[in-house]
Amino acid sequence: MAENNIEMMDDRGGLGVGEDVIGDRPRRYQRRRPRQVVPDYVDWKDVDYLRQFVPERGKIMPRRISGITAKDQRRIAKAIKRARSMAMLPFVAD
Amino acid sequence: MAIRTYEVMYIVNPETDGDKIEKLNEAVSKLIEKEGGEVVRLDNVGIRTLAYPIQKKTEGHYVLFEINGTGQEILELERRMRVNDLILRYVTVRVDEDRKAADKRMAKREAKAEKRAKFRPSAETTEAQAEAQ
Repeated sequence: MAENNIEMMDDRGGLGVGEDVIGDRPRRYQRRRPRQVVPDYVDWKDVDYLRQFVPERGKIMPRRISGITAKDQRRIAKAIKRARSMAMLPFVAD
Repeated sequence: MAIRTYEVMYIVNPETDGDKIEKLNEAVSKLIEKEGGEVVRLDNVGIRTLAYPIQKKTEGHYVLFEINGTGQEILELERRMRVNDLILRYVTVRVDEDRKAADKRMAKREAKAEKRAKFRPSAETTEAQAEAQ
């Protein structure tokens, strides 16, 4: 849906994915995505939109990474859970 | 009693033929109307791949209803869906409250934008003024 497009670019350019060396092995990290715009009505049937908040493994993206407000995160999480119960999104994907 | 809006979605066994699904949807509509509800929307979404298998099936035929009613018809509908072998899975979501909240948010945003426009003239008007000078 067109209205569900959100801004993913930030002023540092791109998503801020990179590698960091903590200890002896590099760790992948993802910087917070700033200023996410969540639509007024989060439709639990709009799987394409919700997929942005569901990484490959199927888990719900934490707020620390998704960068949305706590209120919006609750709405998104609820929608994802509803979509899961109808097999539109996986509980676990491997 | 207050009128509420619900979304009812169910997954039908994908091996059922189209006529039978059509008949099932008709029966559901009739049941809702009999119980005093109103069918706002009937969306036969069709075959979709399931994110995980349900009853050993990897596909399902999705049907979506939007219903206005008191909740009485939902009670009866859910009871029937539970015992129907054709229906693999169903869910009912009450949407009127979330929609109302969404409208409120939208109204708030629009009011804010309007207020802002009043104080800070838009680019078009400033350009027009510059040209006039």
